[in-house]
Amino acid sequence: MDDLAIEVKDLSFRYRQTTHAALSHVSFSVPKGSFFCIIGGNGVGKSTLCNTFVGLIPHYFLGKMDGDVLVNGQSIIDQSIADLSSQIGLVFQNPFNQLSYTASTVAEELAYGLGNRGVAREEMVTKVEAVAKLMRIDQVFDQNPLDLSGGQAQRVAFGSTFILEPKILVLDECTTQLDPMGADEIFAIVKRLNNEGITVIMVDHDMERVAEYADQVLVLADGSPVLQGAPAEVFGDPRLADFGVEPPDYAAVTQALAKRQLIQDKLGVTKDQAAALVKEGLNHAD
Amino acid sequence: MQIDLQDLHFGYRPEHEILHGVDLTLAGTDPIAIIGQNGAGKTTLVKQFNGILTPTSGHVLIDGQDVTTQTTAKWSSKVGYVFQNPNDQLFLDSVRKEFEFGPKRIGMSSAEIKQRVDQVAELVELTDDLDTHPFDLDDTQKKFCTIGAIIMMNPDVVVFDEPTCGQDVHGDHLLNHIIQHLTAEGKLCVTISHDMKFVSQNFKRVIVMSQGAVQLDGTPEDVFSQTATLKTCFITPPPLTQLAQTVGFTATPFTTDAFVRAFEEERK
Amino acid sequence: MGSGEPVKSPIEKLNPLTKMLAIFCLGLATLIYPNSWLGLGIVIVLFGVAGMAHILKSFAKTIFGFGIPISLMLFFIQGLYSPKNKTIIADLGFAKLGEEGLLYAAKIVITLLVFLATFYIMNQTTYAGKMVAALTSSGINPQVGYLILASLNVVPQMHRRLDVIKEAQEARGVETTGGLWARLKAYIPLMGPVVMSSLTDAQERGMTLETRGFANTNVKRTSYIEVTTSKADTYLRAGLIIFLVAVIIISILMRW
Ligand SMILES: Nc1ncnc2c1ncn2[C@@H]1O[C@H](COP(=O)(O)OP(=O)(O)OP(=O)(O)O)[C@@H](O)[C@H]1O
Ligand SMILES: Nc1ncnc2c1ncn2[C@@H]1O[C@H](COP(=O)(O)OP(=O)(O)OP(=O)(O)O)[C@@H](O)[C@H]1O
Ligand SMILES: [Mg+2]
Ligand SMILES: [Mg+2]
Repeated sequence: MDDLAIEVKDLSFRYRQTTHAALSHVSFSVPKGSFFCIIGGNGVGKSTLCNTFVGLIPHYFLGKMDGDVLVNGQSIIDQSIADLSSQIGLVFQNPFNQLSYTASTVAEELAYGLGNRGVAREEMVTKVEAVAKLMRIDQVFDQNPLDLSGGQAQRVAFGSTFILEPKILVLDECTTQLDPMGADEIFAIVKRLNNEGITVIMVDHDMERVAEYADQVLVLADGSPVLQGAPAEVFGDPRLADFGVEPPDYAAVTQALAKRQLIQDKLGVTKDQAAALVKEGLNHAD
Repeated sequence: MQIDLQDLHFGYRPEHEILHGVDLTLAGTDPIAIIGQNGAGKTTLVKQFNGILTPTSGHVLIDGQDVTTQTTAKWSSKVGYVFQNPNDQLFLDSVRKEFEFGPKRIGMSSAEIKQRVDQVAELVELTDDLDTHPFDLDDTQKKFCTIGAIIMMNPDVVVFDEPTCGQDVHGDHLLNHIIQHLTAEGKLCVTISHDMKFVSQNFKRVIVMSQGAVQLDGTPEDVFSQTATLKTCFITPPPLTQLAQTVGFTATPFTTDAFVRAFEEERK
Repeated sequence: MGSGEPVKSPIEKLNPLTKMLAIFCLGLATLIYPNSWLGLGIVIVLFGVAGMAHILKSFAKTIFGFGIPISLMLFFIQGLYSPKNKTIIADLGFAKLGEEGLLYAAKIVITLLVFLATFYIMNQTTYAGKMVAALTSSGINPQVGYLILASLNVVPQMHRRLDVIKEAQEARGVETTGGLWARLKAYIPLMGPVVMSSLTDAQERGMTLETRGFANTNVKRTSYIEVTTSKADTYLRAGLIIFLVAVIIISILMRW
C-alpha cells in the first residue's frame, strides 16, 4: 500500500547462537507521516525491531528471520542496507556505535554520510555547520569524537543521521544521555520534521515523552506485540503494569485525583491535558 | 567519610579549562545527585574523587588527606567509580571474574571475596549470569555488572555515572534499591543522572552544574523550584513538578501522593 | 600521523598526492643514479624542507638515529665481505676493506635515507584523513580508501582505548604507575582484551558505515576535508617529473 511507510508482516527473528527468539510473530504497520512509538521493558526486542527497518537484519546480523518487513512498499530482503539508507535513518541506542571511526573531528563525523552520497563540498560545509549549531555541538566542532562527553556523543549521533534528511527517522532511545532541555530541543526538532511529513518511529523509556508525541503506541513484551493504540488507550489499559511499563506520571496523578473525585474522571496523559483537568478541578471547587 | 573540593580547576589540555574553581564538601551518608548540562564537567568532576584525573590547581581532600598523595589504585578501596560507558570498564571473560578482580587487587581475603560475590550478585540481580561473558549481557545488564564489580570492593563512597541511562521501570527500581542498601550500610552514594524523576525521588541533596561550575546545591525541593537558574543549566524539573508549576501551585511535589496533597492544599 | 597543527607550513598545505609523487620521484631517482652523490644532495635539500615544515629536530633525530647505525653496519659488512670487492684500500689483517663494497653500501644507505626522509616528512605533515580524501578524489576505490584510513587510525585508537582501560584498571586497584615491571605486570593481562575489544568495535562499527551509505555504488565520493591543488602543487609535480626524467637520461648516458 502506498500510504504505509513500514509494514511488518508476521516477523520473527532469532540471533545466531541464541536459543530464544528476539522477535516472534510481530505484525503492525506505520502509516506515512505518523509518529509511532515502540515501548516495553529491557530486552523485549525494541532495538532488534529497529535493526530490521534499516536492513541490518537480515543483511548484517546473522540469524534466522521469518516473515517480512516492507519499507515504502518494498521488502527489506530485496534491498541492500545502502539502498535503504537513502530512505530511512536510524539513530543507535549507543552513540559510540554511530561513530564511523574514520573521522578525527566532529565536523568530519557529521559529514561522513554526505560524502558517501557525493554531496558537493560547499553544500556539505553549510549543512555540517548548520547541524552542529542546531545540536549545540559547535563548541566541540574540531574535537575528536572519541573524546566527547556522553551527551555530546549522542548529539553527534543524532546529527549525523539527521543531516542525511531521511524520509523515515528511527530513534532508538536517542536522548537517554541528554540534559533535559537538550532532549526537549531534539524532540521539538523531531516534531517539526514530523509536521513536515517525515515518518518518525521512536523507542523510549520516557513515557511522558511518548504520551506527548505519539499518534500510535505499540507495547512489546518478550518479542511480541501485546498492546497497540493511541496513547490515551494504551496508558489507560490496566494490563500495562503486567508488561513492565508504567504510564506517564500525568496519567497516574489524574487517575488518583479522579478517584478522590477531585477532578473529572478523565485520563490526562500529557502535561497540557493534566493541567487542564487540574485547573478545572480547582475552579470547580471554588 | 568526607570529600572536600577546594577551588578545583581542571582542563584536559592546558589551554582549555573545563572546571573553573569548584568548592564542594560531600559528607555523611545521604545520597547526593549531580545533574547539569551536557559537557558541564560532571564526569570530569567525579573522576577527581579518586585521582583518575588530578586538579591542575586547587585540592581534593579525602578525610583531610590530599588525593594526590597516593595512587588511584590505593584510593580505590575507599572511593569506587562506576564508569559512564560500561564498555570502558569491562575486560574479563565472565561476570564472576569481573567481580573478583578489584577485591583481589586491594588484598581482600578469598573467603570474604567468595562470600561477597554471592551477596553482590544477588543485589545487582546477576546471580544467574555469573558465568556469562560480559559481552553477552545487554547494555543495561552490563551497567549492573560494572556496578557490582565496584560494590565488590566495599568502598566507603560509590560514584555512579548515569546509571539510569536506558533502564526500564524495573531497572530504576533496582537502582533505587541498590542505593538504599548501600546507604543503610553507611556508604555515601554520589550519582550523576539526567533522569529528573529518578533524581527527585531518590536523593536528599542535588548539585546542579553548568559550564564547569556548581550553580545550585540543595534539597530537591529547593533546587527544582528555582526555575530561572535551572533554565540556564539546561535542566527542566520532573514531570509532576512541571505540572504543579504550570497550574500555579506553591508546593514542589515529586510524587503522585505529594501532588494530591498539594492539590488539596490549593483547594482550601 | 600528525594531526593538523594550528599554524600551517607550506609543506602541510601541499596536496598529499604531490608529496606521494615526491617520495616516488626522489626515491627512484636516487636508486637509478649510478653513484651516491645525487642522493646525498637530495637528503641535504630535505633537511631544508624539514626546516620549512618546522620538524627539523625530530627529522634530524630520525635520519641520524637510523642513518648512522645502518651505515656502520652496511659499511662493515659490504666493505669487508662483499664479493664485489676488487680494489683493496686497506688491509685490516683479519679482513680487507674493498672500495666496491663500500660504494655499494653507500648507495643502499642513501637510497634508504631518501625514502625514509621523504616518507617521514609526508607522514608528519599530512593528516591521515586528508591523504585518503586526496586518494579518493583521484579515483581510488572508496573501500580501499576506508581500509587505509582505518588502518592508519588503529594505532591512535588503541592508544585511546589503552588510556581508558588504564583509568578503569586504576579505579579497580591496579597499580599502573611505578617501575617498568609494575607497569608491564599491569598491562600484559590487558593486551588480550584490548585486541578483543578492538575487534568487536570493528564489527559494530560496520553497522553505522552501512546505514550511512558506505556501500553506495555509482557515486563519486566527496569529502569534508578540503584537498586543493595549488599552483605550487602543479609546479612541484612538473618539476619532480622533469627531474626524474632528466636523472634517467643522465644515468643512461653515464653508463654508456
Ligand atoms: N547482537 C545480538 N546477538 C545476540 N543476541 C542479541 C543481540 N542483540 C540483542 N540480543 C538479544 O535479543 C533480545 C532483544 O534485545 P533488544 O536489544 O532488541 O532489546 P531492547 O528491547 O532494545 O532492550 P533495551 O530496552 O535494553 O534496549 C535480548 O534478549 C538480547 O539479549
Ligand atoms: N578525554 C577528553 N579529552 C578532551 N576533552 C574531553 C575529554 N573528555 C571530556 N572532554 C570535554 O570536557 C567537557 C566536559 O566533559 P564531561 O564528560 O565531564 O561532561 P559531562 O558533564 O559528564 O557531560 P554528559 O552529561 O554529556 O556526560 C566536554 O566539553 C568534553 O568534550
Ligand atoms: Mg534497545
Ligand atoms: Mg558524563
